[in-house]
Amino acid sequence: MTVVRIDEARGLAVCADGSGTEADVETALVERVAVGDALLVHAGVAIAALEPGEVGA
Amino acid sequence: MKFVDEFRDPALGRAVAGEILSLVEPGRHYKVMEVCGGHTHSIYKYGVDDLLPSNVELVHGPGCPVCVIPMGRVDDGIALAHEDVIFTCFGDMMRVPGSNGTLLDAKAAGADVRMVYSPLDALRIAKENPDREVVFFAIGFETTAPSTALTLKRARAEGIRNFSCMCSHVTIVPPLRALLESPDLRLDGFIGPGHVSTVVGARPFEFIPADYQKPVVIAGFEPLDILQSIAMILRQIADGRCEVENQYKRVVPYDGNLRALEVMQEVFELRPHFEWRGLGFISHSGLKLSEAYADLDAERRFSVPGVRVADPKACQCGEVLKGVIKPWECKVFGTACTPERPIGTCMVSSEGACAAYYNFGRFAREREVV
Repeated sequence: MTVVRIDEARGLAVCADGSGTEADVETALVERVAVGDALLVHAGVAIAALEPGEVGA
Repeated sequence: MKFVDEFRDPALGRAVAGEILSLVEPGRHYKVMEVCGGHTHSIYKYGVDDLLPSNVELVHGPGCPVCVIPMGRVDDGIALAHEDVIFTCFGDMMRVPGSNGTLLDAKAAGADVRMVYSPLDALRIAKENPDREVVFFAIGFETTAPSTALTLKRARAEGIRNFSCMCSHVTIVPPLRALLESPDLRLDGFIGPGHVSTVVGARPFEFIPADYQKPVVIAGFEPLDILQSIAMILRQIADGRCEVENQYKRVVPYDGNLRALEVMQEVFELRPHFEWRGLGFISHSGLKLSEAYADLDAERRFSVPGVRVADPKACQCGEVLKGVIKPWECKVFGTACTPERPIGTCMVSSEGACAAYYNFGRFAREREVV
């Protein structure tokens, strides 16, 4: 999912999937995230951040 | 779409299939287990097995979180749902048959059972219903367990006292060891579980080459990821090597997600034994809440029957989960047992091998050499 905006008050990131559906995502388990970052999200929690440079690794 | 399209390129797929063909020894049969149900789903969704030579057989492993939950545990959940609580669980779990119906049946009979996408949704329900007890039925491997752990930490931090968790999380290494010890199965290598490895890393799988001399390749979930992983396993075999390799480096660090491991360590502890559907009791394979979080443990807050229930006689999920039979070899596959009316767990979840075969039309057939 891609980070659309950061909800600092709730400590969550609002992320959108490929179809544009948005969901609240807990980001405590990954490094600081920014709008536009791609996250691997499982059960509402980001368990990894994908670095664009790592594609194809 | 980024991170997806580049891993579904047909020309590259054909090239890797050609590489696989060049790596196999004619006359030798190769059995490779994909541990994770997500891989099983991708393999049949994209027809990955159609690109393999006939002497490379994919065997489906026990890594489907819903499939491995035994009937007694479902019955415990249903019993809890009939207490005056809001009982929350993932959607798949609602359709898993216990000995007397499913959680959906319990809902139809008046129990307040609600589907959630995440344990955080269950916590939100608890906040919105301060006069009701809210229980989350937590299932899943190490991929999902951090989400439950973070939710429990959040419940503690926010002082939400009407929330508790019935913890049925499991860990991936003990069943793999049990399978490797099983005389039923002779495997040549493993496609390692990508998303579990995002959390635990690749290191916990080192025992497979060290103790059992089998290659392991941690794999992503797109068709090219899986094809490339099979090629990497076959190359290890051809070279006479066995080691843990990481094909899914774009999200799997070799040591895993240290923050996730830390939060799991704080919130959970290993159960001495946990029962797996079809695999029986496996030592140190299940998680329960640690003493520090005991007050949020639904099994301590409520009375749970905890009765062991044998699997239905007609159902062969156990053999499917161990990779001993293919789904279509089960006598009720596609007849009495379908995704609409499942008898066994493997037909319920989209990650279940039976559902993957059924949904993508793999009933019974011989494969041809590419």
